[in-house]
Amino acid sequence: MLTPEQIGHLRHFDNLSRQRPNDWSLMQGKGIGQDDFGGYRFQLAYMAYALALTHAHRLPAAPGVFKGTFERLIEKMLSPEVWMYWRDTSRGGAVFNAHLVDQLKEEWDPVVRDNIMYSAYVQSMALLYHYLFDDDRYTQPGALTFAHWSFFWGGAERRFVYDENSLNEHIYWQMVENGYVGVACEPNCIFQICNQPAILGFRLHDLIHGGTRASEVTRAYEQAWQQFGRLDANGHYNMMLLQDGRTVVPNAQRMPWVDAWCGTLINMWNRDFVRAHYPRQVSELLQPGEAGALSVHVNERPETPGPRVVADSCDFGWVAAWASEMGDADTLSGLFTHADRYMAPSWRDGGLYYPRNDAELNGAGHRTIMEPLTGNVLLGYARLNVPDGLWRLYNKPWSRARFHEPALVDIDVDIDVYEATYDAKAGRLRFAIRRRADHNANGRVVVRNLGAASRWSVDGGDAVVANEHGTSSIGRGVQVSRDGADFVLHAPAGAELRTLVVEP
Amino acid sequence: MTDDVPIQPSFEGIDHHGRAVTDASYRGKHLLVFFGFTHCKVVCPRALARLTRVLDSLGPLANELQALYVTVDPERDTPRVMKTYLEERGPRVIGLTGTRAQIDDAKHAFRVFARRVPGASEEDYDVPHTAISYLLDPAGRYRTHFSDAIREDELLEGLRVLLHQRDFIERTPTLRIPPAHPDFST
Repeated sequence: MLTPEQIGHLRHFDNLSRQRPNDWSLMQGKGIGQDDFGGYRFQLAYMAYALALTHAHRLPAAPGVFKGTFERLIEKMLSPEVWMYWRDTSRGGAVFNAHLVDQLKEEWDPVVRDNIMYSAYVQSMALLYHYLFDDDRYTQPGALTFAHWSFFWGGAERRFVYDENSLNEHIYWQMVENGYVGVACEPNCIFQICNQPAILGFRLHDLIHGGTRASEVTRAYEQAWQQFGRLDANGHYNMMLLQDGRTVVPNAQRMPWVDAWCGTLINMWNRDFVRAHYPRQVSELLQPGEAGALSVHVNERPETPGPRVVADSCDFGWVAAWASEMGDADTLSGLFTHADRYMAPSWRDGGLYYPRNDAELNGAGHRTIMEPLTGNVLLGYARLNVPDGLWRLYNKPWSRARFHEPALVDIDVDIDVYEATYDAKAGRLRFAIRRRADHNANGRVVVRNLGAASRWSVDGGDAVVANEHGTSSIGRGVQVSRDGADFVLHAPAGAELRTLVVEP
Repeated sequence: MTDDVPIQPSFEGIDHHGRAVTDASYRGKHLLVFFGFTHCKVVCPRALARLTRVLDSLGPLANELQALYVTVDPERDTPRVMKTYLEERGPRVIGLTGTRAQIDDAKHAFRVFARRVPGASEEDYDVPHTAISYLLDPAGRYRTHFSDAIREDELLEGLRVLLHQRDFIERTPTLRIPPAHPDFST
């Protein structure tokens, strides 16, 4: 059974997905231009990942909780506001790329060259959607199209047409051309972190379409990185590789996000390595507080020439996500104790989040800084994940048989689902729902694949749905009717949490 | 935007017998194309040894296949150097070299990674490179590829299946190669 906090995070993800086009309320970070780690693309992608983990591990019989939210997140991911930074960033003008500034030009297509920090998220989100919901809509030609037109920039519309398969193929061949060491984010900068979502995408593509790309890439990736080392001299994950000089940039400042983000994602295909180093690495990042609270060390960004870089680091959120993947309940509990005490958990329209706060510390010296990626997404991700959640998603694929099992496939926005599992041996579907008063809809849940006749029970009281064409009250005000092969359930207004069991 | 076919395989150069060749010179046989250089210390010797064993294990099926070893280091890998090298390391393999421009074109066509890394002296450089083998069909079209990380038995089985498919399809012209089975289950 999900906790109210977990329900709150799911609700917040859904609320953000329903914001009007170009309404990024609560999602704007400190940095400008979407080129830092607080960018919308990361928030959208990790909401999708959190939804995937929750569906796979906690609410497997309720695809209807997630599918619509997932679609809206992908739609937002394709909007120009999310990817237009690439036109500027593709110039590669960062200080360590000064020698390239005359070689690279602005590139409008956000996935054709480098920019794996965006392209791999589009790829993996589309493939997750296909895998989780057995819906191939993103395989259709042009289903992943990046289009932008500006009246004042002028000229023709910029339009770059891809789909789930062509994008996956394109990223794969970029990997090959780079000797499997990875694809760059900003020009010339190959981050270990940002190539992991592409690997997840390859795995999902293999599961859906057949093939062994993921195992090929991970084996070759391992070989390619052997010459550089995955960890730096201090035992922390190397941050990135400068592509042209083959120079590794270590995590010299011991920035928590580097280790935590890498560890969270690499665990999916190299669990032994990640787990072998986790205890020591995380112990160097954590800062014990009062009464069970744990925070994360604040480390200064490395000095670079020119004005100070203003960007979100999201250290706290990444360490929480990592601890959740590692199943480190003590660390996770300590971090949430700190977050709930000092980081102002807030509720809006039934959604739980931690609002942005730019103050590093409060007057008492407790860490209070909160970036939108952490506050909107990563703490929710950490609460919703299960130990080895990504590892299981990657290594323990679902059978296609699940698409024929009873499930909650369509759910009104005023319904929260706390539990939804199907016991195939017993043929029993069990779910728990609550109707909300703060969203306006009809309290409707569509249940599919139940078969012709079933015994329903609500909170222990039994009722047989005998009338297949009419509406039956099955207790506690819950109504059930048939709509073709589906059962349609209506929860009464004001209904408290109800547990329903449907058996053959 | 990307093409539907990831590789448009084409090349021209000089084989290790000194003959001018192109990809069209090998029509009618499957081609297994891989890139390397004769000064390679680890990857190429390992790949050639493995390939030699695989070709031996294929038996008569190996006659359906021609292996091509394309250098990424044409400055040092002359036809004579390649011939001497392959006589020892891969006697069933044909070496291909050419001008720098020809080799760069081939690398580009096959989307191959290779970069020169300075060594102790001007002559003692290294050239880390993509170590995958591309299988082209008898019409010269890209069919599939095998990574260097693949196990020997996997390469052998993969080639067996693909070469058998050709045999099977040629005998049964109404059949087509089935697509990958879209089943998620393990």
